[in-house]
Amino acid sequence: MGNGIYGIGVSALKVAQAGISVTSHNIANVNTPGYTRQELVQAAMLPQNTGSGFFGQGADVVGVKRNYDEFLNAQLAEAQTRASNLSTQLGLAQQVSNLLGDANGGLTPTLQSFFGAVSGVANAPDSVAARQNMIGSAQSLANRLQALDSRLSEIRSGLNGQIGSSVTLINSYAKQIATLNDNIVRAQAQGMGNQPPNDLLDQRDQLLNQMSQEIRVSSIKQPDGSMDVFIGNGQSLVVGSKASTLQTVSSPTDLNALEVVYTNNQGVSRIQQSALQGGNLGGYLTFRQTVLDPAQNALGRIAMSVAESFNRQHSLGMDLKGVLGADFFKAGVPQVSASSNNVGNSVLSATVNSTNALTGHDYMLQFDGANYTLFDSTSNAPVQTFTPAQLAAPQVVAGTGLTLQLTAGAVANAAGDAYAIRPSASGARDFGLLVTDPVKIAAAVPVRANAALANLGSGTVTQPSVMGVPLNANLQQPVTLTFTGPATYTVSGVGAPAGPQAYTAGVAITINGWSMQVSGTPAAGDVFTVGPNTNASTDGTNVLQLAQLQTANTMVNSTASYQGAYGQLIAQVGSQTRELEVTSKAQTSMLGQVSKAQQSVAGVNLDEEAANLLKYQNAYQAAAKAMSISQTMFDSLLALGK
Amino acid sequence: MRISTSTLYSESVTTLNQLQSNLAQTNQQIGTGMRMLSPADDPAAAARAVDLMQSDTANTQYAFNRTAAVNTLSLSESILQGVTSLLQDAKTIAVNAGNGVLNQTDRQTLATDLQGRFQELMGLANSTDGAGNYLFSGGQGSAQPFINAAGGVQYQGDDVQRKVQAAATRQIATTDSGADIFMRARSGNGTFQTAPAAANTGSGVVSRGSVSNPALYNGNRYQVSFSVAAGVTTYSVTDVTNPATPLAVAGQTAVPYVSGQAVSFNGISFDVQGAPANGDIFNVSPSVNQSVFTTLDNLIKTLSAGGSPTALRQGLNDALGNLDQGLSNVLGVRATVGARLRELDALQATGDAMGGQYKQTLAQLQNVDYNKAISDLAQQQMTLQAAQKSFAQISGLSLFNYLR
Repeated sequence: MGNGIYGIGVSALKVAQAGISVTSHNIANVNTPGYTRQELVQAAMLPQNTGSGFFGQGADVVGVKRNYDEFLNAQLAEAQTRASNLSTQLGLAQQVSNLLGDANGGLTPTLQSFFGAVSGVANAPDSVAARQNMIGSAQSLANRLQALDSRLSEIRSGLNGQIGSSVTLINSYAKQIATLNDNIVRAQAQGMGNQPPNDLLDQRDQLLNQMSQEIRVSSIKQPDGSMDVFIGNGQSLVVGSKASTLQTVSSPTDLNALEVVYTNNQGVSRIQQSALQGGNLGGYLTFRQTVLDPAQNALGRIAMSVAESFNRQHSLGMDLKGVLGADFFKAGVPQVSASSNNVGNSVLSATVNSTNALTGHDYMLQFDGANYTLFDSTSNAPVQTFTPAQLAAPQVVAGTGLTLQLTAGAVANAAGDAYAIRPSASGARDFGLLVTDPVKIAAAVPVRANAALANLGSGTVTQPSVMGVPLNANLQQPVTLTFTGPATYTVSGVGAPAGPQAYTAGVAITINGWSMQVSGTPAAGDVFTVGPNTNASTDGTNVLQLAQLQTANTMVNSTASYQGAYGQLIAQVGSQTRELEVTSKAQTSMLGQVSKAQQSVAGVNLDEEAANLLKYQNAYQAAAKAMSISQTMFDSLLALGK
Repeated sequence: MRISTSTLYSESVTTLNQLQSNLAQTNQQIGTGMRMLSPADDPAAAARAVDLMQSDTANTQYAFNRTAAVNTLSLSESILQGVTSLLQDAKTIAVNAGNGVLNQTDRQTLATDLQGRFQELMGLANSTDGAGNYLFSGGQGSAQPFINAAGGVQYQGDDVQRKVQAAATRQIATTDSGADIFMRARSGNGTFQTAPAAANTGSGVVSRGSVSNPALYNGNRYQVSFSVAAGVTTYSVTDVTNPATPLAVAGQTAVPYVSGQAVSFNGISFDVQGAPANGDIFNVSPSVNQSVFTTLDNLIKTLSAGGSPTALRQGLNDALGNLDQGLSNVLGVRATVGARLRELDALQATGDAMGGQYKQTLAQLQNVDYNKAISDLAQQQMTLQAAQKSFAQISGLSLFNYLR
């Protein structure tokens, strides 16, 4: 029996020691990320059957258990991937939102001070100081637009860097998981498949969790203990001890944007970028597509509209030296890029036929082997389909403000060839000032009308306005209207219509590309002359029209002014940011709850460990006491012989 | 529920972070006075605010434009007032010159006086605004509008009116064409003019007349020819619109002449005073445009010519009529200037009211409600302090404290 008690005591001591060891391990790892609380699993040894019953043989350590809930871990990874996705998007969107909405730094103040300066010229058309101020304000407007655009471009190139480091991290995690898989399979084999290598499993789970922060992953455990990891549409990143890698390459249709591709032993293959969701990487890609591109396009659209409508009016005027007006601003043009994967080398050209109709969307022209179809890149909806013959001539695409033309190259296009069209992406970047000489601001109109001093009738004439560009070649030719009666007049001069003309008071008279109204009742012999508006230093008629563009609805199919379109941009980015703020907050609290639930199973509680320490300490002491009693018993036996 | 030690810490840290960030947000709101620190705080209000800012800035610009317009128009008005009183003075001089006690020397003095007035009128017509631009030259601000050339004063400007944007949808002219003010006065009585033929020898003086029945007046040219036979003076009126085929006016042949009695036909009426000689002719023709400079110049010539009393009387008669026409022309322009000034006043009142409205709405959209913000701040501060205290207490709790 004595031997039995000793044996039991020794086994108890061993178990208690193991318990203290496991507890100490828990305490040591209380702050280790991803550590899962371990628990000693002990059991009674097989009893000894004697005639008088089964006698226990002491305790034995069965194993060390990991307090682990696979379901909660999967939930945590998903919550993690969502939370980091949203907070990444939020951080980036806040940058854009603050940039555009800043009361002092946005477009609003410069746009307003520019039009204030235009009004200043209208009030004093001959003042070189006022004109200089208008040039200066126009330069500030151009600078501000370019600065806003370059800040957005900085965010874009920053994104490229972030996408690159995210991909590097994912690759590194994948490689580590593959290595761990190998180690785990070996370790498990050593443990005869019964004892799990707990700390290695923790490390692998932690890596998977970290990978979830970068991108959404799914995993499958194999019977041998290894874990396979998949991303996107089922691309395997880790299989057993082999890891594939992701790579970044320039997008075939946009050299400024990085795309993520998948590389394994079969070579490089493209992944649909929209399939890469969740995590930081998904956040970068989503932000670029849903916030950054539309914001840059909208800003470019405003710049292109300002340039186009201002130029159109400015070209109708005449400068201080009597020279007809020209373009005032340099306007950006649509960016067209043929996919680098194209088989053919036909060249697509896109021009803006109306900035008023520009949508701010990007487009993709795709060839299916027979026809070309233009898709809206935002919604992926087809806009219009063209035959190659149609596209050989300029095609106005209704609802887009674009005119497309495809010039056939030496190699014919094949099915799948595509062209990306970004109508206003570079509008703000390329916005510039063409007129820098204050004298060249076309404040006046090129023609003026005068009533002859000898006129006796009550006919009065409004000053002529120029009809539009291109200017009529005879615009400034002197033309004389001579009334032959109260209802008829003849016109003489270059470009004048022949024969008697019927006169109706107030009806526009249009000759040589100008239009004016005579009202009242002219007497026979009354003469009105229209001729070049020479020496018109104080005529600010055209600059008044320019000033009115500030509030004119020249954008979004004549529904918004420049400022209105900018307001829409602010509202759009603002509400996107707002939405991200709300969902990100919700997701963060969700992550907190899931993490709490997971930690409630897997986390180390020091009070609990303290209690466990006491428990095992007591067990140890009790076992020692049992051994001591056994010793005493043995001593008593020995004393019998003395 | 089982709580792991790290959850305890990380939750507290998350809570403290959140509370501090709320506190910082409120603090920034109070510091800047702005409710919206970024468009994301209230996207709709942010978009509305930039629209309102534009409306407000444009409104301020219109007010500035109106001030400029009022300045220019007031300047025009005071110059036109000067023109009015100058023409009235000229009228007084013309009336005085008719006084029989004056001799030629006296009239010469008046002519010299008028010559000075003529120069003064030229000065007024060539007035410049504050920026040195001629007021009455239309679009050609740097070109002197009136120059005294060989054939009389000529207008060098044009009919362009300078305009300002006085309200979102209203442009107001700030200048008037010099031609309208000075050059387009009608001669005679404004409808027709009467004049003795140059070869007249009698002492007949014709009045400027008037239209008695506009419906009957046809704008033709007429000739009133006098004949004296056997001491009886008669006159006949012929329509000479087509000189080749003069037409006798019905009922106006060999009408006995009484000095000062109205000669009336075809809706017009005038009189001839004095004793016309046989063969004297008075012409009636539609009014033409005559500049006030020409009128003044004619008066000076009449006074300094020293002609016959008949010529003097006729000249003064004509001058008085033309001066009246010139005056009414100037007054007509002044009336439109006044109307524009009144409209600017009205627009100013509307603009001020709108500006107040814009600013108020903008303040409602953008400005922080200090009462709410400060009470929020106090509450957030209290919450943060409580959270910090509770964290300090909870983190001190450990079973190990009791194991010694």
